[in-house]
Amino acid sequence: MSITIFQAQKIITMNPSNPEGTHVAVRDGLILGVGSLQEVAGWGDYELDMSFADQVIVPGFVEAHAHVMAGGMMLLPYMGYFERKLPDGSTAPGIQSYEALVDAMTLAESELEDPDQPLVAVGFDPIYFPDQARLTRHELDKVSKTRPIYLQHASGHLATVNTAMLAENNVTKGMNIEGLGRDEHGELDGELREPAAMSTCKTGHRIVQMVNHTEQAIRDLGALARNAGITTCTDLAGASILSPRALTMWQEVTGDESYPLRVAQYNIPAMPGSAAAFDEIADQFVQLQEKQTEKLRFPGVKFVLDGSIQGFSALIDEPGYFSGEDHGQLLTVPEQFADWLRPFHRASLNVHMHCNGNLTQQLAIDTVEKILREDPWLDHRHTITHAQLTTQAQLRKMSKLGLCANFFSNHIWYWGDQHYDITVGPERANSIEPCASALREGVSFSIHSDAGVTPLGSLHTMWCVVNRVTPSGRVLGEVEKISPYEALKAVTISAAYQMHLDDEIGSLEAGKKADFAVLEEDPLSVDPMHIRDIKVWGTVLAGDKHKAAVAT
Amino acid sequence: MIGFTVLGGYLGAGKTTLLNQILRRNTESADPIRIALLVNDFGDINIDAQLIESQIDSQINLANGCVCCTLTDGFSAALDTLVDLNPQPEHIIVEASGVADVNNLSQYGNGQVLALANIVVVADAETVQEKASDKYVAKTIQRQLKAADLILLNKVDLLEPQIRERRLSWLSELTDGIPVVPCVRGDIPQAILFELERRDNPIDESVHGHEEYVSWSYGINKRISRESLEAFADSLGPGVLRCKGVFVDPFGYRLELQVVGKRKEVAAGAKTLESVSQLVAIGLKGKMLTEDLDAAVQRLFHDAP
Repeated sequence: MSITIFQAQKIITMNPSNPEGTHVAVRDGLILGVGSLQEVAGWGDYELDMSFADQVIVPGFVEAHAHVMAGGMMLLPYMGYFERKLPDGSTAPGIQSYEALVDAMTLAESELEDPDQPLVAVGFDPIYFPDQARLTRHELDKVSKTRPIYLQHASGHLATVNTAMLAENNVTKGMNIEGLGRDEHGELDGELREPAAMSTCKTGHRIVQMVNHTEQAIRDLGALARNAGITTCTDLAGASILSPRALTMWQEVTGDESYPLRVAQYNIPAMPGSAAAFDEIADQFVQLQEKQTEKLRFPGVKFVLDGSIQGFSALIDEPGYFSGEDHGQLLTVPEQFADWLRPFHRASLNVHMHCNGNLTQQLAIDTVEKILREDPWLDHRHTITHAQLTTQAQLRKMSKLGLCANFFSNHIWYWGDQHYDITVGPERANSIEPCASALREGVSFSIHSDAGVTPLGSLHTMWCVVNRVTPSGRVLGEVEKISPYEALKAVTISAAYQMHLDDEIGSLEAGKKADFAVLEEDPLSVDPMHIRDIKVWGTVLAGDKHKAAVAT
Repeated sequence: MIGFTVLGGYLGAGKTTLLNQILRRNTESADPIRIALLVNDFGDINIDAQLIESQIDSQINLANGCVCCTLTDGFSAALDTLVDLNPQPEHIIVEASGVADVNNLSQYGNGQVLALANIVVVADAETVQEKASDKYVAKTIQRQLKAADLILLNKVDLLEPQIRERRLSWLSELTDGIPVVPCVRGDIPQAILFELERRDNPIDESVHGHEEYVSWSYGINKRISRESLEAFADSLGPGVLRCKGVFVDPFGYRLELQVVGKRKEVAAGAKTLESVSQLVAIGLKGKMLTEDLDAAVQRLFHDAP
């Protein structure tokens, strides 16, 4: 077996016993050692690779909460407010006016060859157009009067369609569905709110659903991850991996030697609200683990327990939402949640629980405590994911129970101002994603993007918890800031830990996978406000180089 | 058009018992309805093994034309599957999870294929009031009850008469008077949930064996305007649990009135040469007074052509 030694300006290992080096020796995809050239040269004949001599190597980033949707969205024209990085390294501009929207949609329309194909686009967000009248079918009719158009909003809960889309699906004003938007004369205005209304325009709605179940979505997820320095990414409940078709597709795409990403699949074992035969499903997941490969893992399952804070559908405790109407909603019957959780816990499957509201989180914590009394498993590493409004009391309890947190730190940037002004008010907004408190209380935590909800990018995610700034320039909770080192830990070894993969990935250590993020600057020594702007050369996965795509 | 009912209610309220009642009675009926059930889990549904014709993954086909499906691929997809069945079901019942937003689910019933979307919420007479102030589910339970067209207050036999009255008035206050059907083991006349009158099942038969209920019917050879009919529907009190009528408007178009609890809908239909109006209703004895209904229709048709 040949040995390659990569030389770097600096190597940050996240291994506390051997924190730094300049050279890393790799054989057969595994790390032989990190240190000086002299220290790692003794393993035998080697080839010295100087490609990264000016770069900084850190452990390949581990994104513990993302979805294949991040890739699926790339297959549709993007109409979001903020610019978006594309898999090929280019950037789709942000759309900041209705005129720009009509222009961009018109361009996308002109690129469709089949005249019968609907134009389906994503990413529009009315929250950034507070001074304008709601977008209606009339704007989209300017794009085309004949081709059906479906524009999905960023939240995923709304869409705006044109008149041709309504007509194609026989949606009429006589239909008595609350979610069908209407003008002051009762005529349909083209806005569709929530799935019942959205699914009336099936010919568009279906396409948004379908793109995530394609090979190209998986490939684009890989490219986006590589461009961001990510070498392991979860697909948290994006694909139904128990279906043979989906499993085969994931095996084939990730099995391709050039595919640059390890994927950890966490399936939802059943649709929210259903009470499936969980014992049976837990067995199926255990059997599924026998089919794991180097790049496709099945560490556990995910449960979705509530909605979102900005959608007012997360269940939060007293004193409740700061303003707006409380639509807080559990997606499980509290008395039944233990029955959902127990079969997976007993089968030693790691469980990640989506809790945006702290009352939902309380249910998750109490249920885990109950289960642990019945079935002790000290090293379960079950994780509260999102965990945005975690209280101090909850952190103390999570620490005792061995629960991990995975904070949705990108919220600080994307919705921090809205949380301060509208959703939860100043005190709770300032303590949102409480990383410093988690550190103090000894709760192991990761931080995430929830891509495609926000863009994939661990440096941005780190930047959020280090600086805690919002678009208005406000600092949300100075005391909850953490150091760049702790933030780097959260996107590497701690993320690997909560998936039980920390013995293989997440740090650069003899015997572990040779997965690196290759950066143009050192995230631990640059100005903290510059962290998100650090350029990513690309990644090394199991010793193989994968250069980030650069727009031509 | 396919009838569509969202069946809500918290864990333990008796939704499954009610569904089992419905399936059993439908099986015994001389004129079974093709019911499609969309349930969370087959586990609790008693399906007579002799009735099972075939089972494919998430769907069980029954000999009397009924089917039972689970929600594997999500709600919208499951409904599409049911609507596309051949023969098409006559009535779809969705068993919502204990914490579901039943109003959201019922919205799927307001499209072109599904009709008479109504929300029936089963409440456990013993525990509903306590659950309506539970720290996790208080708002969910209250939302469910308020969204109901008809509330089945189940297990009333377990309450002392005084407490039962108090529970009823608490419920009435919370929901602003949504009609409540007190019942035991989900045993109610099928007609309350489905089509009121069927080929072999005239209205007075439908309350047979249910002494607490009363039925009423009326027919006249006169036409009526939509406005008058809507005013009449609004005037029906909470004692009327279910009402259906077919009418003809002064221009010769059919009108259909459907009432399920608080939900009252008038729909226009095709042109017809007839002019017969027919109306049937079921209510609780002592709460739906047939003499009141007689008087109301006398007034309704008094000036009609």
